[in-house]
Amino acid sequence: MNPLLEQFISESRESLQGIGEKLMQLEKEPESSELMTELFRFVHTLKGNSGLFDLPELTRVLHAGEDLMDAVRNGEVAYSPLLADRLLDAMDFVGLLCDEIDTNGSTDAKHVNNSVRLADSLRQLIVVIVPTTEGASSAVVNELPIVPEQPDPANQLPLSDIPEEISMAAYRAAVTGKPLHWLAYSPVEECFFQGDDPFYQARQTPGILWGDITARTPWPKLAELDPYCCVLDFSILSTATLEELQEYYRYVPDQVRIIPVPGSFLILPQGEPNGGPVYEDFVADALKMLHANNIAGLTHATRSMLDVSNPNLWLSAALRWLLLVIELEPDNVFVCERILLSLRTMTPPVWHELAGGCDTRINGDVNSELPHNLAQEESEPVPAMLSPEVTALIAAQREILSLPDDIAWLAGRLKSVAASLSGCLHAIGANGIIQSLGAALDEALAQRASAPLLHWLDSHFKPSVDAAPFLPQSVQPATTTQIGQSVEEVKYGRRAEDSYSGPKSIKVDQVKIDRLMNLIGEMVVAKNALPYLAGRAENVFGVRDLSREIKSQYAVINRIAEEMQDTIMQVRMMPVSFVFQRFPRLVRDTSHKLGKEVNLILEGEETEADKNIIESLGDPLVHIVRNSLDHGVEMPDVRRALGKPATGTIFIRATQEADRVVIEIRDDGKGIDPEIIKRLALEKGIIDNERLERLTDQEAVNLVFAAGFSTASVISDLSGRGVGMDVVRTAIEKVNGTLQLESEKGRGTRIRLSLPLSMAVTNVMIVESNNQLFGVPIGSVVETVRIPRADIHTIKKNQATVLRGRIVPLKPLNSLLGQHVPPRANEEDELAVLIVSLGDESVGIMVDNFRETVEIILKPMTGVLAGLSAYAGSALLGDGSVLMVLDIKEIL
Amino acid sequence: MAITFKKDRIVFSDVASGEDAERLLEWLQKHPKAKIDLSACTHLQPANLQVLMAAKCSIIAKPKDKLLADWIDSALQLI
Amino acid sequence: MKRILIVDDAATMRMYYRSILEGAGYQVDEAINGIEAMEKSLQEFFDLYIVDVNMPKQDGYSFLSELRSRDISQNPAMMISTEASANDRMRALVSGANLYLVKPIKPDQLLTNCRLLLGEVHE
Repeated sequence: MNPLLEQFISESRESLQGIGEKLMQLEKEPESSELMTELFRFVHTLKGNSGLFDLPELTRVLHAGEDLMDAVRNGEVAYSPLLADRLLDAMDFVGLLCDEIDTNGSTDAKHVNNSVRLADSLRQLIVVIVPTTEGASSAVVNELPIVPEQPDPANQLPLSDIPEEISMAAYRAAVTGKPLHWLAYSPVEECFFQGDDPFYQARQTPGILWGDITARTPWPKLAELDPYCCVLDFSILSTATLEELQEYYRYVPDQVRIIPVPGSFLILPQGEPNGGPVYEDFVADALKMLHANNIAGLTHATRSMLDVSNPNLWLSAALRWLLLVIELEPDNVFVCERILLSLRTMTPPVWHELAGGCDTRINGDVNSELPHNLAQEESEPVPAMLSPEVTALIAAQREILSLPDDIAWLAGRLKSVAASLSGCLHAIGANGIIQSLGAALDEALAQRASAPLLHWLDSHFKPSVDAAPFLPQSVQPATTTQIGQSVEEVKYGRRAEDSYSGPKSIKVDQVKIDRLMNLIGEMVVAKNALPYLAGRAENVFGVRDLSREIKSQYAVINRIAEEMQDTIMQVRMMPVSFVFQRFPRLVRDTSHKLGKEVNLILEGEETEADKNIIESLGDPLVHIVRNSLDHGVEMPDVRRALGKPATGTIFIRATQEADRVVIEIRDDGKGIDPEIIKRLALEKGIIDNERLERLTDQEAVNLVFAAGFSTASVISDLSGRGVGMDVVRTAIEKVNGTLQLESEKGRGTRIRLSLPLSMAVTNVMIVESNNQLFGVPIGSVVETVRIPRADIHTIKKNQATVLRGRIVPLKPLNSLLGQHVPPRANEEDELAVLIVSLGDESVGIMVDNFRETVEIILKPMTGVLAGLSAYAGSALLGDGSVLMVLDIKEIL
Repeated sequence: MAITFKKDRIVFSDVASGEDAERLLEWLQKHPKAKIDLSACTHLQPANLQVLMAAKCSIIAKPKDKLLADWIDSALQLI
Repeated sequence: MKRILIVDDAATMRMYYRSILEGAGYQVDEAINGIEAMEKSLQEFFDLYIVDVNMPKQDGYSFLSELRSRDISQNPAMMISTEASANDRMRALVSGANLYLVKPIKPDQLLTNCRLLLGEVHE
């Protein structure tokens, strides 16, 4: 796979992880804009990256996710559990595709449907735009530079289609505190076949003031018309609240856009523009009265003017509006002023541009006053044909120079524009005019204005209409200055406390670490050859001094090797959070599905253990937690009836105890009823009647770990699948872990897992039997004893002995391994017996002799040997021989 | 029946259903000059409305319901 | 050799730009956010900046306006974003970018614009 794709996959996985975490955290603090921003960034990064590759299925979903998160971040869509669900689903899908890319290098086209479905499910949530309380005004002031991030969608609405009397009623409603919403309802083409009557739906819209029907497409000839293909669009103005409208259109959320409309946006006088006197006198007088707060005078003057004007005139409409505003909002001088001023141009005020409430200056005005042909220069001309890139680049510089000058970094801007232009001129071979560019820059810097540079630009490159497609509509200088300062303040504050430190960690491929681990393993074994060598030097070759020197060298190498091994182990250490991090999601999803309320508490996530241990923990822990969710925690009403809090708690804690990591999973659910366990165990033939009698409650509870035991009477989708807790036990024991279960009926269950911190090095005791050496993991050895043959009794063909008052069954290792050779006794006729623990019982294994204990690197059996369950694995000894390590539980 | 076809007039009464639209379309193809009387109409399934819009029919009587009349005016661009 | 600083929090994007730019013989350095980019700019000289918009800790807008207002570098900067809207473009140009490009960026497009801003003759 190419490295870029590899990088993409690895970064994607990190992002997915991050998304999952942030969503979980958001569930707890849905208002946190910080979390929201981080979440957005993760999705945004993922989507941006995916654009580098041809992965349409992936990009489609991510794009929808990004749009949704953008809407959430901007406060247009509220965070909800449904949103989290859908986003998680979508991210699972992305994860799946990543896995597929990882293995196959590409994704299968079969994912198209899911991709479309998931993208739709995300987009459905971006239906509604929550009104900003103050219309556009607050947005303009708060946003960073000048232009609101999200243009107010009310700008683009055809509000002038609404008849005056309805607009006035709507304005009146808005002033009296009613919400005002514009609905754009576009039913799908096939809606008639689904039994929908969108016209009826539209007519019944709550709070409807006005409605309009338009056809999406021009009508064909009647002969070609399909009346059952709906091409109608409905526009509705309503005074209902957002919630009411959402509720009313809840079955077609994807077909409706709800846009809040500020009342003032409706003040759009309409009528005949022509005729009549020049109103300037009236405007001047009226403005004076307005500013003198002479409302009575203004009303009177307006009425008089209205009386002498044809009601169909634009003027009359504006005056009617003025009267209404004076009546409803006499304090709103700004709006009144705008209406009066509009009389001069007979064009309605552009309310959304004025929403900031400050004077606008159409930019470019300043510059256009300058003489245009200042410098028709001598130098070599600019090439006539410019590439689109050059044109775009020059247009961008022109655009920058057209921005208002009152920013803190004007000098920097001017220099960077000059630098960019200079580069560009070089590149296109127009070196001759670079000097004059320098002069223009100097002048601009001296004047602290963009104009000289802009002028230079205009004189050398004709401004073309389409080269600068995105000229700003309006600019508020006052706002900009403020922004310039605030950026600086924020910046220094942040830099002081948030100084950057270089990367302290590097990423290493897992394979390399494994290789390192194997090498150090070999090293430890090779080093162990030195004591043998020393022994041979002394015993075989008779050079004692050499033997001593080898031993002292060995001590040095041993120390270094041990330190190295320790360090490599450290590298392999991973925090348990790697496993824990999946639980918030698991608990959330599962408890939702079951209708239970569960609070998950995680502790000690930073506790570390070897990577293999951590990885082997995953499945058993999931199983245990699912069990708690499924069988442990009761339904909320049951809990309440029992006097417990309705929300159950699952508590998972990791701690390190000496060289083991201990994980405790506790729930406050209904616990395990030992009586039920006993009965079931009896039914399933796991225990017999005799044993049942003797069984303590604690022992009974632990029977859930017995093979073939599952307490769920019906195998549930969640913890069931036919596997019981015995799988958990097996998995934990495989990595030399132990587990304990305690349960109190009605109070809850506690499971304690104890695992080695590392399984790289195993301590084994070497035993000899039938002329062969075997290793026995020291963990399972309780003690070694030598028992006189006389003390060995045969009870019903089984041998046993009494050790400290307890009967211990004895088994010869040879016969356990299928060899029919009796164990050899020593000279005192004593037999070597290895006492091992098997659950709660002790068993004696008769061998020929005990040898030393050694540290070995246990290699699992591979190939055909993998089928030999009697062995846990093999290891190389210092003398180069192979030691087979027994799996005690398997052979007994 | 919600739609009655007369010589040069089509009279709607009560609620015109989706099925009515089919016959309305056929009739209007044969009688393109037919005038529409909606005075007794309380609602029409939008397939009917689409036919009226496509045929650019002239309305000789508006529905009594003022809001419905406004809707239909907007659809037929009579405003 | 011309030096270019890539400022982007997405490792994949950095790798993408880097492979294109290094292939064209530029010397490339990377920063994962505005703060790191500022650290590097204070210590080293870059002929051109390629800046992402949305980054943790310090975004591209704020980085560029700081770069310009503290007069740390006035060399050309191009901002690359996924947003094609006029507003985003405006914000970028106001902040101190000299060019605003919308993703996805083709290698050719990236190189052509780099060459133009760096004043290198088209072959």
